[in-house]
Amino acid sequence: MKSIVSKGKAVKLQVTVLYVGSSLLAPLKNAEREISREYKLDLRVAAYNFGSPLNQHEWSEVDHDLAASDVVFVIHVMDGENAARLVPALERYRERHHAVIVINCMPELMRMMRMGSLDVGTFFRDDSTDKKKRRGEGETRGRGDRERKKSNRAFQFLNAAGSWVSRQAGGRRIGNLSKGRHGHGHYLKLVDKLPTILRFMPTAGRLRDVKNYLYLFCYFLQPTPRNIRSMILFALKHYVKDGRLRKLKINIPAPEALPSAAIYHPDAPKLFETFEEYRKWYLRPSPKSKLQSSKAKQLALDADSTVGLLLMRPQVVSKTTKHYDALIHAIEDEGLSVIPAISTLMDNREACQNFFMDTSKSPTSNVQRPTSKIRTTDKGQPTMDKQHSRVSQIVSLTGFSFVGGPAMNDSVASSAFLRNLNRPYRSAVSLDTQSIEAWRESLTGLNPIQAGMQIAIPEIDGATEPFVYGGISATDVEPVALEDRCQRFARRLRRANRLRRVPRSELKLALVLFCFPPTKGNIGTAADLDVFPSVWDILKKLKADGYDVEIPASSEELRGRLLGGNSETFGATANIAYRMDADEYRRLCPYVDEIEPEWGSAPGRINSFGNELLIQGLTLGKVFLGVQPTFGYEGDPMRLMMARGGAPHHGFIAFYTYLTEVMNVDAVIHIGTHGALEFMPGKQVGLSGACWPDRLVGELPNFYIYSVNNPSEGSIAKRRSYAQLISYLTPPMENAGLYRELAALKDLLLAYRQTTDEREREGLFHTIEEYSRTLNFSAGLPPPPPAYRLPKFNRFHSVPKRLDPI
Amino acid sequence: MSSQPGKSLTEAERDQRVLELFHQLIEVEQRLIPTGLHVFGRPTEVGERADMLRMIASFDRPEAGVRALPDLVSENLGLGSYDALLKSASLNQSRVLEREQVNNLVSAAIHEFLQGGSEVAVSLLERTSNINRQDSMPVFALLEQISKQLETNNEVEALLRALRGEFIEPGPGADIVQNPAILPTGRNTHAVNPYTIPSTMAFDRAEAVAGNLLKRYLAENGRYPRAIALVLWGLDNIKTQGEGVAQAFWLLGVRPVRDSLNRVTEVEAIPLEELKRPRIDVVMTVSGIFRDLFSPTVLLLDKAVRLVARLDEPPEMNYLRRHVLEQVGNDVCRFDDAVARVFSNAPGNYGTNVNFMVTDSQWERDETLGDLFVTRKCFAYGRDSQGCAVEGREARAEMDQALGRVEATYQNIDTFEIGITDVDHYFEYLGGISKAVETRAQVRPSIYLSDSLSRDGRIRSLEETVRLESRAKTLNPKWYEGMLKHGFRGVAEIESHVSNTFGWSATADAVDDWIYTGVAETFVLDEAMLERLRTLNPHSAHSLVGRLLEAHGRGYWDADVNLLGKLREISGSLEDQLEGVA
Repeated sequence: MKSIVSKGKAVKLQVTVLYVGSSLLAPLKNAEREISREYKLDLRVAAYNFGSPLNQHEWSEVDHDLAASDVVFVIHVMDGENAARLVPALERYRERHHAVIVINCMPELMRMMRMGSLDVGTFFRDDSTDKKKRRGEGETRGRGDRERKKSNRAFQFLNAAGSWVSRQAGGRRIGNLSKGRHGHGHYLKLVDKLPTILRFMPTAGRLRDVKNYLYLFCYFLQPTPRNIRSMILFALKHYVKDGRLRKLKINIPAPEALPSAAIYHPDAPKLFETFEEYRKWYLRPSPKSKLQSSKAKQLALDADSTVGLLLMRPQVVSKTTKHYDALIHAIEDEGLSVIPAISTLMDNREACQNFFMDTSKSPTSNVQRPTSKIRTTDKGQPTMDKQHSRVSQIVSLTGFSFVGGPAMNDSVASSAFLRNLNRPYRSAVSLDTQSIEAWRESLTGLNPIQAGMQIAIPEIDGATEPFVYGGISATDVEPVALEDRCQRFARRLRRANRLRRVPRSELKLALVLFCFPPTKGNIGTAADLDVFPSVWDILKKLKADGYDVEIPASSEELRGRLLGGNSETFGATANIAYRMDADEYRRLCPYVDEIEPEWGSAPGRINSFGNELLIQGLTLGKVFLGVQPTFGYEGDPMRLMMARGGAPHHGFIAFYTYLTEVMNVDAVIHIGTHGALEFMPGKQVGLSGACWPDRLVGELPNFYIYSVNNPSEGSIAKRRSYAQLISYLTPPMENAGLYRELAALKDLLLAYRQTTDEREREGLFHTIEEYSRTLNFSAGLPPPPPAYRLPKFNRFHSVPKRLDPI
Repeated sequence: MSSQPGKSLTEAERDQRVLELFHQLIEVEQRLIPTGLHVFGRPTEVGERADMLRMIASFDRPEAGVRALPDLVSENLGLGSYDALLKSASLNQSRVLEREQVNNLVSAAIHEFLQGGSEVAVSLLERTSNINRQDSMPVFALLEQISKQLETNNEVEALLRALRGEFIEPGPGADIVQNPAILPTGRNTHAVNPYTIPSTMAFDRAEAVAGNLLKRYLAENGRYPRAIALVLWGLDNIKTQGEGVAQAFWLLGVRPVRDSLNRVTEVEAIPLEELKRPRIDVVMTVSGIFRDLFSPTVLLLDKAVRLVARLDEPPEMNYLRRHVLEQVGNDVCRFDDAVARVFSNAPGNYGTNVNFMVTDSQWERDETLGDLFVTRKCFAYGRDSQGCAVEGREARAEMDQALGRVEATYQNIDTFEIGITDVDHYFEYLGGISKAVETRAQVRPSIYLSDSLSRDGRIRSLEETVRLESRAKTLNPKWYEGMLKHGFRGVAEIESHVSNTFGWSATADAVDDWIYTGVAETFVLDEAMLERLRTLNPHSAHSLVGRLLEAHGRGYWDADVNLLGKLREISGSLEDQLEGVA
């Protein structure tokens, strides 16, 4: 960023805004332009995203701008490291800055706020000495006291307005939020009430600056381009005191307000405050509308084909919605309807309640399909149809927890609400604290701040599908969509939706087993799980639930058919369900060119036979029971020694190509902890279309039954292969107990303990010593560290050949 | 252990020897082990639930207002704190009896609970141990809830619901003793917010474990280790809220600092006067999974290292600083290079491949496994002096240097459920790094594991742990019969335990001969057993025998010649069976 050269006699002014997120930059740049033009000023608004820690170079730029600033805004900064550097910088330029306006920041930054007579740092100090004094001397009644009371109330309000986020988070310990008072309600009220309150506040005295602050806060809460322009102008007008602006007549409009909860649609002329209004508009007859094709029309706002989206309010208010717009259109292009609801920062429940749930008692007008019958007769689980949900899936684009906002998460309240609504909950990510370019170039993907805030926390609420769908370019001022990601995400939503809409007897499923190391003996590798009886039970329940599946007579028969079949013919570990010749593979898999440099030309040597790639598995009606190939480098010392893996091998790709392109299954269910798909190369979280797990799983809904005691590897599957985890219990545990000679040894020890006769004790002791030695027990102090043991003898005279080359 | 035959011991010495043996036996006896496998959707067989419930009742659970039963009993009997009782029982026979008294009362209460319910158990404890009803009631309320939850299982139902497009509730991931809130299963397991770790409790618990680790090394070597190589995984750090991370902090002598949002974003040095020992140089290898799930923590660990390296302290009290300064001085390398201590895989890659190379018998030279470990794990993470992110910079020379100074290797273990021979990941990491140290430092390091779920934060050597696992699991009829109930898969489990045990030979030469002999006698030379194995799963049975022969072939097992002959014969006949010759 270069400084603007002052032109002619234009008054030179600088405002620096340190903010977090992607909604403010565009309105700020707009304000810079408009104010400069309208008032013939040379105004520079320097803006920096403080969402993640800055490096030395970035920081020196910030420092440079702070040194030249008349007014500084610090907004939503929660990063401790940045704050630690910012506080001394603000001290350093104290004389230079006419005002430092701090909004919703951590307390150490709130204390740096200075506007005219309002100096929050001093106020905190005054306040504490004040209290002590009062306690010591007793209160004096009268005018002074009333004044103080009034100003205290104002300060309390200021405090509430300025730092609710940090105060709540600071005071919060895990768990108590759900019991305690909810702060988000507070926030909503603030949005609505503030302008009214301001009218009754005095404009003189100490309270004048408090009032000014609240004005600025009002503008900020509704960050429309006009309000942000007003916010900047307001600060300049009231606080740049050195005469530069004296001659100008500055008019600042009152804050404009938009509803706090509403439905937004990029094609609509306005926000809708009720679902009915939105519905009327959505179903409008319009020649241009996308909903004119008869199929789409039939689907329009049908509760089983509508995606409920949760949008960030500031983003909509500030009109920086290109990324939302593109995603909404991408979803509609897949034949799904949308209800994009504006949610507040702190709590999504109200928006869901208002717009995603039909609270009227009358049944919905949806056509009853045969499948819904089965759904409502399920025992045990209350079904969602009673809730009259208007949506079939919920996608949060807020990047925050469902209840709690940016600085905390009330996962208890979240999951209780979502359980009641009973629709899958997805949380997709827009890059807020790193640029699209940085993400694209990064080998790791999302930076730590986003991985923590936008992935880990929503997961605690039950979110799945952490898709990156948009972000802000380093050269841009507002977020845009990543078109290919939006399309893939939208298609995943459509595929997930199929599982609801299509009669279950028509759905095709793949159950995928693991086999590691790849020998027949290991088919059905899964931590703590007896896989074949598990699969057999699942198949039976699938059939009972209406899926078209053939059930072998027993789990042993199932295993026998999978291990046996034609496996011998092909020298394979398991039965071969399909043979994909190299030409078909090339035709169906778009990545062959990227694989061949690494694994040779297709079909390669793994999972292949002649010119064919072998798909291991068993077809049971519309259910395919497959065996996932392994990494393929286990038996290859050259590949094992490579620091970085590249592409998966042809056989691995062919397996998933078979599922998606040949059999065209509707969903895949991976069985047990764990397989190789989610560990294929690519970014660690926030994948791109070039990452292998993303390519392999494609648009396929992925369910993964997973050991409950392995949350770490499970989370990798969730993030890198978009898996919906279903946890399974670990086996029963018992004490190991003692057996055979060990039990006998214990008896000897107890006998020694109980014997009083000295001779007898000595005899017993010798027996014990001897016996324990034969049992290889060493008693006494811990042994000394073992000396470096040289190989006892030549180590290589009988290394057995391993089984099964496949 | 040399027992010096002929030289007679004093009575006190004899008593002490017997007491120690007794503790070793009790350790095996009371080890919790899985007694089978899970079948998705089926409730746990009722069977013997007493041991698990007693274990669950042995921990304070402040979040549920529950105190540990042994503590309640010990305190109310006037025996003082149970922790103190555990500590003194290792040295004192009368305290052993008191400990047994406490344990017996707890067991009796659990037994009563299973027979007659909470009320009966509470009354019993009131009578026998003077425990107020309001103190013991919450314990049994928890056990009652857990028992109830174990009687039903909705996992398949949850899968069907997910397939129908319904919401799957989130739930924590852990084992049931650590966190009974994992019940019911059939939920969407989640990790933790990385900014919350290490929790205050984890940091407190880690102090004891890190202290024990250093004490043990000190006792064996007469001084503190100058450098320790740590393995950090996502698994235990999620389940313990960061105890492994906290242990690293303690070794370095730093504490986490929370910001106003209660997030751990900083560290500060614990003053040496307070620490009362030198700061240890810590070389951290984090799994690819840890790197991904705890990316802010990776930065924090790197920050801690940089902070300690810059402290103006005497070199004999700050080994890390000493090493960094030496390296900067000798090699004229940059501070950023000399201070690299947090290593992981190349971005987007996972694992060391040491397990693959071992289980597939693909290595020839001893040092290959250590080199492979370094090849896969020599990518430095953190931030450089300019504050720019280091996203996996290949730093092989730096890692070689750092490992060359290491004197002990260590990994935190947090659970009974995943033991060091249950999966191949423990030997690929802790074994792999130990082998890497061995060739770089020209001496085999002391290798330790903790048992962070134990009440006293126990440290064991690798050899002790392998023995314990072998006795409590692989060679224990209760364990393998439990597995064999599951037929085909059970045999594969047994084979995999033997292979993973073999992994500890390959990487750390930490397996006694008697363990292999025991495996051979139990599973191969016992004809009835061999018949069962080859009927249930001939493939795995064949692999198991092959693995034993390989252990001998590679020099890890000094086996009897006759025994070997029989193994070869059996291996041949299994091969014939598989090829359909017999």
